[in-house]
Amino acid sequence: MTISLFKKRYFYSTCSIGDIVLRLLALLVLLLLLLPATPLMAAENKKDVYEDEDIYLRFIYRSAEQVAAFYEGRGFPKAAIARAVQSCYVTVILKNKSDDLLWFELDNWLFHKNGKMIPRYKQTYWNKQWDEMQLKQAYRSTFGWTLFPETRDARPGESVSGNITLPMQMHPFSLTLNFARDENKKGKMKTVQLNDIYCKDAVQK
Amino acid sequence: MKNIILSSLILLFSANTFVVAETLPKGIIRMDAREAPALVLNDMDGNQFDLSKLKGHWVFVHFWASWCGPCRKEMPTIQATLHDYQDSRLKFAVVNTAETEDAVFSFLGSIASDIVPLMDTDGLVTERWQPRGLPSTFLVDPEGKLRYQALGGRAWNKGIYKKFLNQFK
Repeated sequence: MTISLFKKRYFYSTCSIGDIVLRLLALLVLLLLLLPATPLMAAENKKDVYEDEDIYLRFIYRSAEQVAAFYEGRGFPKAAIARAVQSCYVTVILKNKSDDLLWFELDNWLFHKNGKMIPRYKQTYWNKQWDEMQLKQAYRSTFGWTLFPETRDARPGESVSGNITLPMQMHPFSLTLNFARDENKKGKMKTVQLNDIYCKDAVQK
Repeated sequence: MKNIILSSLILLFSANTFVVAETLPKGIIRMDAREAPALVLNDMDGNQFDLSKLKGHWVFVHFWASWCGPCRKEMPTIQATLHDYQDSRLKFAVVNTAETEDAVFSFLGSIASDIVPLMDTDGLVTERWQPRGLPSTFLVDPEGKLRYQALGGRAWNKGIYKKFLNQFK
């Protein structure tokens, strides 16, 4: 306590208002630099969050510009970037808050609008795109790791994140997420229904 | 009666000991002790690393990429751990997944400049190991079997994680 009081007194007795403003600005810059980065580094995006006792879900909507900047930064060829940005990117961050194992299979996450299903671009779709342009293995690998895993379990407390890609949609749509539970997937199925999912830039609400 | 009490105490004590030894820090999971996949890669200085030559040691195998946010946070803790365990029986393999030397150099230069990573330039070694995501850490036992996996990034140089690693020294 003595030390902190001493520091406080020393700080105020030796700094002018200008000094304090400068120090605060420096601190602000430092804090901004220390902010943790999400895979696509876009802190300005609107974030949508769903949370209940079992699960935390956050959706981050990526613009074509952000997607292009990310893959450009990793040295991807222009043709691959041009192909990549034709899709809609939604980064999903999922945390299993429950005490059970939660299983997700993206085939059981249903994107839909007005009763019509919106097919998701799976890893196999991207493999075909990259085969066509003979994309180097390193880029294919990086792209693959930025996608949300197709199927996996999430342990209690575990977070999983990655991009889900879809054909570009001009209007908001819905998402029904189904999760199996327990070691053998025999626990009660958990379903979450979300509306107003969208593709950034393309959306016309 | 005395014997029963004594036996119960011994049983209770040994049960507690067992529980303590079997309790893992948060985010560390036990694996099925299957054979670790091959890991033969060159580091950034061109030296070859071969996991199979480290039988008799525990090996900390870590996969990361510069674009992943948690990797940035975790890497300095790995560097500190590397220093702490320099002359121990625990060995380290820090594998970059599918990035160029330039990307790796500029990333590590700013946060963990003492680490000389193994370069999985095409990402295929990482895929064979099937990590649950990046970053990901495996602990391989002295017989070359996968024993533990860390879910996501961990502060390896602190508290329970340091204590956990100390048993492999």
